[in-house]
Amino acid sequence: MSETFEEFRRSFSYGSRSNLDFKFLKSLPDDEAAEFFRQLLEELGDAYDHGELDSLIQLAIDWQIRGYAPEEGAPRRWVYEDGPFAAPGKPLAESRVALFTSSGHFVADDDPRPFGVEDMTQQEAEDRIGEFIKAEPTLSRIPAETVREDLRVRHGGYDISSAATDPGVTFPVAVLRELEAEGVIGELHTDAFSFPGATSQMRIVKESGPAWAQMIRDEDIDLVLLVPV
Amino acid sequence: MSVGHVARAIESAGIPTSSIYIRAFRHVAEEMKLSRAVVTRHPMGRPLGAAGDHARHRRVTIAALELFDSAAEPTLVELPEPFRASTRR
Repeated sequence: MSETFEEFRRSFSYGSRSNLDFKFLKSLPDDEAAEFFRQLLEELGDAYDHGELDSLIQLAIDWQIRGYAPEEGAPRRWVYEDGPFAAPGKPLAESRVALFTSSGHFVADDDPRPFGVEDMTQQEAEDRIGEFIKAEPTLSRIPAETVREDLRVRHGGYDISSAATDPGVTFPVAVLRELEAEGVIGELHTDAFSFPGATSQMRIVKESGPAWAQMIRDEDIDLVLLVPV
Repeated sequence: MSVGHVARAIESAGIPTSSIYIRAFRHVAEEMKLSRAVVTRHPMGRPLGAAGDHARHRRVTIAALELFDSAAEPTLVELPEPFRASTRR
């Protein structure tokens, strides 16, 4: 079976070679994607001798940035002239801080069961990404003292392998607990919050976002640290 | 975009937010006019750093929190440190 180069690079985005670290290849024109592979192999060849992978990793990150850069002149959907800015009522060291992420973390015995599916695997979440991005997001409440072993992560939009190994890469509740103990923040809210960010944007804007903001007000949270993925 | 919408909703409710973005999505924080954002030169899926790099996770978290005390107007700060792989295997 013959395959065009375009089909090849697109296959990394939910296709036969799906790899969410490299799904940006779908967005690069053929010539740029070809240049990415050329540079990657050149750096790899050099690494045979010096054994350092830092420049290889940096190359991949640089190309990921290119892959996600907005296309020049293309219309952008969510561009605002200005944004709300709330001033803190008290210093950080006296404030109650909550963590809120789109990393898709949840507590093992509190699976949000997307589409009613029990124990959905990461693979199924990736396979059903088209359904997720049309659906209302489910917010998981995660007690801040939850131990790492009881945390789970599932998100059809990014490679969760790092976040599954160490939640701190997208869900820094352990750091926040330390900062609370050290007095850097006044208090860590009893619960953190997470949802899989690959979800209906319109529902976030019209329903979930305002509802979650009201919930945060009701729980007397002073400041919110947000982590998108 | 999801978190940008959430940040705007929370700010509109009068509660300050600070967000941690990767460089690839810096334009999202800018286009959505977020109140406070820290941008890291890390890859997608690892906004705070590599698995096991607790020192980097702390550095990024503190940078985002400090904006609550320091930013008197909408502020975006890009951290200069390049991504580093953790030594953990």
